[in-house]
Amino acid sequence: MAQEARAEFTELLAARGVSRRDFLKYCGSVAALLGMSEMYAPQIAAAVGKLQPALWMAHGLCTGCTESMAQVDNPDVPTVVLDLLSVNYWETVMAAAGTQAEDNVAATVAAGGYVLIVEGSVMLGENGNVLRIGGKPGIEELKTVAAKAAAVIAVGSCAVDGGWVAGAPNIANATGVSKFLKDSGINVPVINLPTCPVNPEWVVAMLVDVLLMGELADGSILKKLDDMGRPKLIFGSTIHDNCPRRGHFENGEFVVFGSPTQAADEAAGWCLYQMGCKGPTTQTNCPLVRWNHRSSWCVEAGSPCIGCGNANPITGGPGNWFDASAPFLTRHADVRLPGIGGVQPSTIGAVVGGVAAVGLVAHGLGSAAKGRVKGVPTETQKVHDAKMASKGGDK
Amino acid sequence: MARVTIDPVTRIEGHLRVEVEVDNGVIKDAWVSGGLYRGMETVLLGRAPADAFYVAQRICGVCPISHGHASTMGSEAAMGIKIPNNARIIRNIIEGAEALHSHILWFYTLTALDYVDVVSALSANIADTYALAEAAGTSTADFGAIQKRLKGFVEGGQLSIFTNGYWGHPAMKLSPELNLIAVAHYLEALEMQSEAAAIIAVMGGKFPHFMTSLPGGTVWIPTEQKLDDIYFRWQKVSNWINGAMIPDTIAIAAQYLPLAGYGKGVGNYLAWGVYDDKSMDPTKRAMPRGMLMGGLTLTQPDPAKIKEYIDHSWYESGDGLNPSVGETKAKFDAYSTDAKYSWVKAPRYDDKPVEVGPLSRMLVAYVAGDPDVKGLVDFTLAALGKAAGAAGPLPVTALQSLLGRVGARNLEAAFVAKKMGAWITELIDAVKGGDSTYFVDKSGEGEGAGLWEAPRGALGHWVGVKGGKISSYQVVTPSTWDCSPRDKNNVRGPMEEALVGTPIADPTKPLEALRIVHSFDP
Repeated sequence: MAQEARAEFTELLAARGVSRRDFLKYCGSVAALLGMSEMYAPQIAAAVGKLQPALWMAHGLCTGCTESMAQVDNPDVPTVVLDLLSVNYWETVMAAAGTQAEDNVAATVAAGGYVLIVEGSVMLGENGNVLRIGGKPGIEELKTVAAKAAAVIAVGSCAVDGGWVAGAPNIANATGVSKFLKDSGINVPVINLPTCPVNPEWVVAMLVDVLLMGELADGSILKKLDDMGRPKLIFGSTIHDNCPRRGHFENGEFVVFGSPTQAADEAAGWCLYQMGCKGPTTQTNCPLVRWNHRSSWCVEAGSPCIGCGNANPITGGPGNWFDASAPFLTRHADVRLPGIGGVQPSTIGAVVGGVAAVGLVAHGLGSAAKGRVKGVPTETQKVHDAKMASKGGDK
Repeated sequence: MARVTIDPVTRIEGHLRVEVEVDNGVIKDAWVSGGLYRGMETVLLGRAPADAFYVAQRICGVCPISHGHASTMGSEAAMGIKIPNNARIIRNIIEGAEALHSHILWFYTLTALDYVDVVSALSANIADTYALAEAAGTSTADFGAIQKRLKGFVEGGQLSIFTNGYWGHPAMKLSPELNLIAVAHYLEALEMQSEAAAIIAVMGGKFPHFMTSLPGGTVWIPTEQKLDDIYFRWQKVSNWINGAMIPDTIAIAAQYLPLAGYGKGVGNYLAWGVYDDKSMDPTKRAMPRGMLMGGLTLTQPDPAKIKEYIDHSWYESGDGLNPSVGETKAKFDAYSTDAKYSWVKAPRYDDKPVEVGPLSRMLVAYVAGDPDVKGLVDFTLAALGKAAGAAGPLPVTALQSLLGRVGARNLEAAFVAKKMGAWITELIDAVKGGDSTYFVDKSGEGEGAGLWEAPRGALGHWVGVKGGKISSYQVVTPSTWDCSPRDKNNVRGPMEEALVGTPIADPTKPLEALRIVHSFDP
């Protein structure tokens, strides 16, 4: 069976003018991205028979996630849309419009077996009319399309839990795909890929993992997800864990706004924690995968992480990254810096939630709090935090 | 009369619906409806100005840099902050990189499929394709391999993003060989837009949504390595724009000359201007501020003359307000082209609809006498005059058309590419000269406006700051101007007006209407 599939696939590649060597190289890079050995590459290649049908639906979006996808280079975009997937609907790049575009959706839904990728928040406000598609509330189409999908990938924080659109006061009543489908009684596996926008490397990794490795069919993909539907390999560690500036954190060397040495300290790559960096409380592998074909990432360019990967698909709105992380340039209250004393996990818990707090202790601040470097004074515990801490945090 | 609806309009940013009345093969009336309301202006209230910089970018994932800059400039104006010279240059380079990225992506990925028949490229003769590329002065590729890849793809029967496109449509006019060249560059363009975006990533952390132009200046500090990095990426993109995008534009435009005969629209143009010079005077920007109302006489716009109307938009209050005191209160009732039909408000200048975008900027700069803009425009008008068999160049008024709106955007890419080289050199000189100030740590309060340009046109963020927090926030985006519905006097918005008079060969496949819509890059 596998042999047959492989022969068929080689023909398919040849017909498209793609050498098998090139494709294996690509599969190797995908395998590496997923933390698998490159020996899996032939298996990935063999799993491909015909182009996997996919629909990429736009909801309450800024198109940034599609834009982000356009920045992937290995495989490049033409490979994704011509050689791996048959993306029968993707508003931003598809040739068809209007009736012709809607026909593509109908035909794909009728045939079934497609992967649904959703970009943007699910828009519930004004009875769903804050987003109108094809003369109807956007949520109506989402229900139809999701009900028949083999799997759903929610790309970007907006699709995961409403994102900034759900930020207080959530005026347009935005939520995430997981929550919306659950509330609508639609039972389909949802893979959540937060950050704003989504990092395209993760989307490609998921497409390969889910579709080409056949992990959806046997259900094994679900074991790779955490309780928020996020792939553990990508979202299992904090930015602080893998940050190249981590050494400066340990040394108590921080860039400080308005300091006379601000520019020099930044050029030296000092830690941005004092500027409000949310690296210790944000779980993504940004420092490893980086952005825009590995050319840089937020912290490398001198900006503190703003925690755009924080999302809560279970609550579907509350816990969105804007509310969870802002004000961005104010460091989390009562996270003690090196040299000042112990960490207060329960207080951190009150601020950022239980899971991240455990991460802080395990991966970062605990080991840092050894008192060997004189740091800056910390602020006193805020009343609200103290109250929450006495209750054991908001777990 | 037949009512033709395009919903969804694809190959744009966001959600748009277009309805047109077609009579005897010509559009007689049009309605443009924006389909999405998210409430950014409300979400930002009570937040820190820096938070607004980070989040306001999420209005548009194609032009987040412009929104970030307009937001940060609005806050700086409100707080009385003057940014260091280094920050000014750095912002110009980042802004320019976004323009290159956006214009390349727009022409090849979003718009080309309105003019380029991908399936026709299958029947191109390869030798003739090379000969044509050489004659057109555009770059060559392995045309044979590309055709083979395309063939395998089409014969596979799964057309992916090309499914149900307008292949073989009577309004498609390019030869198979020119179609193949365009398809080759369609694929290359994906790499080039991404290279331009990588300049932003180096200087801003990532694209889309960058991180560094905070109110007060920038937190990105150039090092020799980073300057090298952006220089070589700029050089690659710049060479490609001049060696492929511009010659492609002229070769394709020469086959679509009748498109200079319709699609003019309202004929009023506004540019806030973009890319500050050392004086920070908006009339001295590399793309200058200016306005052309009805003719080609340059005036300076007065922001106080802007009013936003909601007579045909789903909002419950705030009709006729200037954005500095604007309101945004959503209230959907029903979709009706006779009453309310859009989430987009109708901004008007002196109660008149105004077009914004590269055409407005290029016309303003042309009339203002910018030598680079004049050179690019005159060269193109001469080349097209020759293609038309005319005695001399096409008149500059030929720009006021569908063809002109498409062409102006691509010519602007060449203009920005050239300027960016100078800005990178300017930054290197400033750093070498010992200027090490990038950021001013200052707060204050008041009201201000960031009046700037996104790649797709004039953009304003009106910001109030009180007690360190955002007290008021209103945005008028380029698409608010261009895609606006009718106003209180029932006067059409610029895109609606540009649609009127457009020929439609096949009402079931209204490709020509899509061309008009896409020419605004909504």
